[in-house]
Amino acid sequence: MLSQIAQKHADACRFCWMCRHLCPVGLQTGKEANTPRAKGLQLSLTQRGSASFDANMAEGMYECLLCDACTNDCVTGFEPPLYIREARTQAMVEDIAPAPVVQVLDNIERTGNIYGEEKPTFPSKDNAEVLLYVGEVAACRVPQLAEAYMRLLDKAGISYMTLEQEPPSGAMLGDLIGFTQEVQDQGAACVKALDASGADTVIVLDSYDAAVMRQRWPEWGLSAKAQIITATAFLDQLVQEGKLKLRSLNQTATYHDDSRAARTLQEFEPPRALLAAAGIALSEMFLHRDLAKCCGSSLANAYMPQITLLTAQGRWHDALRTQAQLLVTTCPQSMELLGRAVPQDMELIDLYTLLERACE
Amino acid sequence: MNDMTATDSLVCVKFVQQTDGTPGRTLNPADEAALAAALHHRTTGKVTVLSMAPKSCEAGLRELLARGADKAVLLCDSHFAGSDSYATSGILAEAIRQLGPFGLIFCGRRAIDGETGQVPPALATKLGLPCVTNVLDMEPRSDGILHCRRLLEEGVEHLACQTPAVLSLCEYSYPSRAPSLSDLRRAKGKQVEHLDAAALGIDPSACGLAGSPTRVEQASPHTSGLRRVTQLDLDTFVETTAKLFREVLI
Repeated sequence: MLSQIAQKHADACRFCWMCRHLCPVGLQTGKEANTPRAKGLQLSLTQRGSASFDANMAEGMYECLLCDACTNDCVTGFEPPLYIREARTQAMVEDIAPAPVVQVLDNIERTGNIYGEEKPTFPSKDNAEVLLYVGEVAACRVPQLAEAYMRLLDKAGISYMTLEQEPPSGAMLGDLIGFTQEVQDQGAACVKALDASGADTVIVLDSYDAAVMRQRWPEWGLSAKAQIITATAFLDQLVQEGKLKLRSLNQTATYHDDSRAARTLQEFEPPRALLAAAGIALSEMFLHRDLAKCCGSSLANAYMPQITLLTAQGRWHDALRTQAQLLVTTCPQSMELLGRAVPQDMELIDLYTLLERACE
Repeated sequence: MNDMTATDSLVCVKFVQQTDGTPGRTLNPADEAALAAALHHRTTGKVTVLSMAPKSCEAGLRELLARGADKAVLLCDSHFAGSDSYATSGILAEAIRQLGPFGLIFCGRRAIDGETGQVPPALATKLGLPCVTNVLDMEPRSDGILHCRRLLEEGVEHLACQTPAVLSLCEYSYPSRAPSLSDLRRAKGKQVEHLDAAALGIDPSACGLAGSPTRVEQASPHTSGLRRVTQLDLDTFVETTAKLFREVLI
């Protein structure tokens, strides 16, 4: 059922339980079956003929955010997301994936995005050297984040374009069904569109897209002609080059690192440098940078909204303990998820809207 | 075996230890390219994957069925254990005679464990077929002539050969393809076929250690070319350098 390498990762778990202290879904649901080690054990038992891979087990494999917190902290170096992704592929092959998951797959097949909606377009200039890859979550659910970013580019004098028909990068489909040929085909179509734009720099707003473009595409033999950079890193460069001048806001905030930026891209300095440049004093949460606790993903939210409400509340609980009044993030998916559970005493804001306030 | 009209192809594969220290075996990189080439150039025929390996490698062969191979055959017998490249090529040749005819036989140019690169040419010799090694890419023509580009130490050679032929592919020459959901669904009902020495009609004395003329007498780590680096504090560095200068200059 699993590839040899994924099976070894599932079999080789030492069941040390360390990952259960970091798994956002396991922590919030309190279900032992939701810990990465339990998922490994279940799949291992399947291989040995002691359990069968049925609809219940398949559902459990989808109760995971693929946030990589378990991998990041695994002392034996094993990667639960590797076998969880493959188990999702198997669930699709066996036709035992949960109905809401199949509905999301249907949405992607019909419209290219998880919402099954037509994706809004944004103003664009022709033949600019810089292309802004907005991504489906920012376009469909958090357009204010994308628009704030575009205004910052305007203020810095950067001419940019967007794609009228922006193809998916493969990030969402890869998390939903595993890295099958269909996902690689999505990536190939996206590379083709980026290359056809003629841009020499592609700014990516959503770290889930940036992670698949920078990490997975090369593994699949795909390579865009343009340089791929995250929106936050690009903005940090503009500030360092003096193209964007910021005044001090003299506030205190806490910052939420999203899992793909923090763990896949290892990018936690640029947002902190931007906050410092805007005079924001940082009060860090208990789990931050590469240990950051995931608040949920838009994909998981589309098929298990009850659980992602819990994971968002879990992250707000961490934020409240900092006593900061402002929670800042750069991630459109975090904005969508955390936006579902904002507590009374705190404000949620995306970094780009905050920086707009600090622009001289 | 020498059927020039055969459209089926066969890929010989080996599962080697992971190189990053993680447990388990993985498909040899050059064999990945061999499978990718066979699938890329498949027209009407079927692609069979063949491996001489322990039973534990059956899962690996099943993965290759999911990647698009039509049939998988595992040569598994305790008599095969310890076979060198000479005995291995003999066993593979016998299996290919039984399973064929094949228009093209693809191999990786070398395995990352043994690194001999001897099996493809030995296999071609035993099957009486032409062999092109170190293939980078190829173009089969309708007249049965195969045009190949092969890697040499100082360049690239273009050549043509008749089919059937044995080809050994360079690592990464053809990009490997992930299975699609429909590939995986199609592979669900397929089984890996097992063949042992008796089924192949091979005398046990012709395989395994008994049938292998190679004897490894000694293995030792190589030391030539290795840098020897010693970390020194400043005082020792000055003293050592001064001593070396004195030795060279005087």
